[in-house]
Amino acid sequence: MNEVSPRLRVNGAEHTVTVPARTSLADLLRDRLGLTGTHLGCEEGVCGACTVLVDGLPVRGCLTLAATCDGAEVVTVEGLTGADADRLRAAFSREGALQCGFCTPGMLITAYDLVRRRAAGSPEEIRAGLGGNLCRCTGYQALVRAIASAAGESAGEPGTRGGAEPGTRTGESHPRDRA
Amino acid sequence: MKPAEFGYHRPCEVSEAVALLAGLGDGARVLGGGQSLMPELNARRITPVHLVDITGIGSLRGARRVAGGVRYGAATTHRMVEDGLVPDAGGGLLARAAAGIGHRAVRTRGTLGGSLAYADPAAEWPVVFAALDATVEVCGARGVRSLPARELPRGAFRSGLATDEIVVAVEVRSLPQGRWWGLHKTAGTAGAYASSLAVVLFDTDARGRLEQVALWLGAARETPVRLPATELLLTGRSAAGLDVAAVLPGVAQDLGTVDAAPDDAARHGLRVHAATVCRALARAAPVVSAAAGEGAGAP
Ligand SMILES: Cc1cc2nc3c(=O)[nH]c(=O)nc-3n(C[C@H](O)[C@H](O)[C@H](O)COP(=O)(O)OP(=O)(O)OC[C@H]3O[C@@H](n4cnc5c(N)ncnc54)[C@H](O)[C@@H]3O)c2cc1C
Ligand code: FES
Ligand code: FES
Repeated sequence: MNEVSPRLRVNGAEHTVTVPARTSLADLLRDRLGLTGTHLGCEEGVCGACTVLVDGLPVRGCLTLAATCDGAEVVTVEGLTGADADRLRAAFSREGALQCGFCTPGMLITAYDLVRRRAAGSPEEIRAGLGGNLCRCTGYQALVRAIASAAGESAGEPGTRGGAEPGTRTGESHPRDRA
Repeated sequence: MKPAEFGYHRPCEVSEAVALLAGLGDGARVLGGGQSLMPELNARRITPVHLVDITGIGSLRGARRVAGGVRYGAATTHRMVEDGLVPDAGGGLLARAAAGIGHRAVRTRGTLGGSLAYADPAAEWPVVFAALDATVEVCGARGVRSLPARELPRGAFRSGLATDEIVVAVEVRSLPQGRWWGLHKTAGTAGAYASSLAVVLFDTDARGRLEQVALWLGAARETPVRLPATELLLTGRSAAGLDVAAVLPGVAQDLGTVDAAPDDAARHGLRVHAATVCRALARAAPVVSAAAGEGAGAP
């Protein structure tokens, strides 16, 4: 029972990986699937570099056991697709929202979640939404500008609450969430 | 860092979880959302031999209306409360409290039951459920018992749970129409734990004066505290005219500190708590009836 074999759908591809039970989702993604876009900084939930989407919702990859994610749909920065994601990537590059890039994967996932929920309507809202993502380089101004710019481009389109996606066993997004 | 090795169990029923915990003994720990436990495992501050993950137990997730109130399953997440996926027995108070906990990615996984069991003195749910006089249902090898949420925390990071017991649900009586609630969290940065957390409930008379005041404070002592002297001081006054100087004597009496204390830090702490109480009052809102979240699962 010290090994587990969670079945995951990661960026659209099915994987069943046998790992020690203590393996975090972030370590499984990086060390077993080679998806090193997901970064690990603090491993205590504070820096946000490890943030990924599980069943459509942002989670800390460092505070989520891979075992808990059996049956889940995982999206990492490598698999972030769609109009909102494209606009964010373009805006990050245009506005200079990254320097060393360490925080960028978590920033993009968090920004994607904000923009998609249409919860990035003002600079204040964006700053509050980025409270769980630390950047040691940019000073945040360019990040806020980039996200505001991408959010502005999506403004007329309907957003989603997130987590309405078919969920599985992560204790989170579950079909019955769709109240 | 990474956690030390442990055995992992993912039961589908409460009875199975309790049997596992009883059978595995002291080396086993319950895993809820992991948002407090995982940092401790990663840092190897604790090294349990077994983890019993209760987030696969469907009956613990979601809420349902019961006579006069709402019953929340222990594995209901902060996010589900924040997003109104479950009814809000606090008429808006629970959603406000949830939205202030950590960061969105933490709220996606962190659970009500985990927060109560963890008994962090600065956490939101122990204070909120104490103020609402909620009842916690606990299940262990010897059966099911209920206790007031006010009696669950026994000290900082110490709950009154036995090692084979899990929190199953929290039952909250709905606040009646006409009652007001206020919550204010003072914290260093967005998403940080509170340095002070005030929850106030009150009625108003025809001239807007406070009546039936219930005032609770978190992050002041090892467990949430009620502030009876401040409640008395507030009664009969209107929320609008209250400033820090006005509530300070009550808060000082309740916390057993004096504003003239020689210790700068103690004086500062007292003022932070008094200011937090004032802001909770200033931003209080009337109860809104919660039709939302109807049918979001049933523990
Ligand atoms: C960066 C960060 C910021 C945070 N900020 C805040 C904040 O501002 N306010 C706040 O209140 N919290 C905050 N938290 C903590 C968060 O709310 C946690 O979700 C919560 O404290 C624990 O809930 P959990 O479900 O994650 O429990 P876990 O971490 O899984 O478990 C915590 C403890 O409770 C036990 N346990 C879990 N579930 C049960 C159960 N049903 N029955 C019995 N025992 C159980 C576990 O054995 C463990 O001892 C923060 C966390 C992080 C990482
Ligand atoms: S590595 Fe997960 S939050 Fe820092
Ligand atoms: S770009 Fe270097 S940490 Fe953000």
